[in-house]
Amino acid sequence: MTKILIDCDPGHDDAVAILTAARHLDLVGITTVFGNAPVEDTTRNALAICTLGGIAAPVAQGFAGPFLGGTPPFAAAAHGRGGMDGAEMPEPDRAAEPVHAVELIIELARRHKGELVLAIIGAHTNAAVALRLEPRLKDWLRAITVMGGTAGPGNVAPTACINVYSDPESAHVVFSSGVPITWIGYELTRTVLMRSPDIARLRAGGRVARAMGDLAEFYRRSYVRIYGIDGAPMHDGCAILPFVRAGLVRHEPAALAVETAPGLARGMTLVDRRGIQPGLDLPPPRAPRPPNVMMAVEVDVPATIDAFVATLLSYP
Amino acid sequence: MAKMLIDCDPGHDDAIAILFAARRCELVGITTVHGNASLENTTRNALAICTLAGLDIPVARGCDAPLVGAATHAGDIHGRTGLDGAELPVPDRGPIATHAVDFIIEQAERHKGELVLAVVGPQTNVALALRREPRLASWLKAITIMGGSTTIGNITPAAEFNVYADPEAAAAVFACGAPTWMVGYNVTRQTGFTQPEIDRLRAAGGGRRTAAVIADLMQFYLDGQKRVFGLDIAPMHDVCAVFPFVRPDLLTFVEAAVEVELAGRLTRGMTVCDLRNKRAGAPGAIQEARRPNARVAVASDARRLIAEVIDVVLAFP
Repeated sequence: MTKILIDCDPGHDDAVAILTAARHLDLVGITTVFGNAPVEDTTRNALAICTLGGIAAPVAQGFAGPFLGGTPPFAAAAHGRGGMDGAEMPEPDRAAEPVHAVELIIELARRHKGELVLAIIGAHTNAAVALRLEPRLKDWLRAITVMGGTAGPGNVAPTACINVYSDPESAHVVFSSGVPITWIGYELTRTVLMRSPDIARLRAGGRVARAMGDLAEFYRRSYVRIYGIDGAPMHDGCAILPFVRAGLVRHEPAALAVETAPGLARGMTLVDRRGIQPGLDLPPPRAPRPPNVMMAVEVDVPATIDAFVATLLSYP
Repeated sequence: MAKMLIDCDPGHDDAIAILFAARRCELVGITTVHGNASLENTTRNALAICTLAGLDIPVARGCDAPLVGAATHAGDIHGRTGLDGAELPVPDRGPIATHAVDFIIEQAERHKGELVLAVVGPQTNVALALRREPRLASWLKAITIMGGSTTIGNITPAAEFNVYADPEAAAAVFACGAPTWMVGYNVTRQTGFTQPEIDRLRAAGGGRRTAAVIADLMQFYLDGQKRVFGLDIAPMHDVCAVFPFVRPDLLTFVEAAVEVELAGRLTRGMTVCDLRNKRAGAPGAIQEARRPNARVAVASDARRLIAEVIDVVLAFP
């Protein structure tokens, strides 16, 4: 069974990712980071999800802001002031571990050498610092799977998605780390929608499914209000899916680089889709870079949503 | 028929744009700029196209370098001359004495409210004209641009050549306030001649000088596109910018805010198009949605568009 550590900022869609990983994979840990909300909120939300779902994985709190400092751009408009508004969540039955997220990432990767998948579904700060602090981490990890960035429209900026926009330097460290990376961008995940009938199915389920149905309904309303999109997008869960079941997401190798310079496109994940042919001795700027990610290019949306709904309904 | 002035850098696809506009618009002039090749070459190529097709249209020479930095050329696609692949006639005349910038202003003033300025090369001439004559934007009926992209670049992963070749000029043009159409590489990359269409030009062109030469040019261009980008069509980038004023039904547009990235380590020269569809007044963005300043092409009816182009080319002697 795949061992996975989720580095996240719950977040409505993070909750689905955590519950999906806990059901189908060996979820060995959860680390939290700022992003959708301040890190104190995302940590409390992660603990509440674990309490709700009876998940025993250790939760360690990470960074409160980006690597270079500055005020992080929280996503209260979509996720609410608490980062995960819209449902009655249980009080956490425990506190976060007394270690920093970076230490937990390194510790679990060392313990599960060659086996651990690191899922990064929030800002990349914890992962980047861990990669710099422990140079062997990149060899210990089996893979990294990322939800963040976009190869199309953005959310917080015209061409940038919040997870990368929040800390572009850290995302650059991750994408250039040399670890095998599976990547899905916002241009696809914004089409993976839990619609009203799906939400109704959840609300007719058990305690966990009902809470997730309430969360999805809040998130759906946010997307209607902000983008006119009638559904709750399951961004973060999409990063977990390839390790749960093959065939739901199709990938192609791609060269991805993060724009870190100040300007309109800062925080953009730039994918080279020009189709430049191999073996050409082209001068810069035409010359391409080698692929560094397996990029998601297609999602079987109905099957994916069914998988999420069935997973959530399988909880008590 | 729309009155049109084409500002260009021929260029294989520019040649087609000139022929098409000469027949389907009232083409009042051609101005040349650095770009696919040096200004000297693009000017000679524009004159050679006019000579080939018997077009009596004034050609004015423009700027030989971008506002900032050095000129970039696209020899890997268009060849050393900018229009390799065919035996072109020696131009039967030279450019007019007027500079392209002055000519653009003069024509816009003469045809106030009527002139469509098609900008299908780097935007240096137009940016300078807008600065030199502040009323120019209000005199133009429209600016239609082949340049930029909503998704995918060609010269870099993020940037299309024409905008990359002079980002500061493009920023000035997109911000000028004239009604603006942008037909970018996202659409033009998929809108081009197939090999059978080039063969058809060659076959049907028997005895027609223009079609025969164009077929040779397009063969060279298709081979380059195949070699560099793995494409099996010869994209007709520049003529696409003429279509909004000839057959607007063959392109699909959305209104969007377009800005040019002038900074950027990887993205300089990118047209940042806001296609988030973020609702006006809705919260939730760090960078709020700006007011649309262009109609941006997002799709084309490529086969019908190219069929129109072929008909025009075949009608030349």
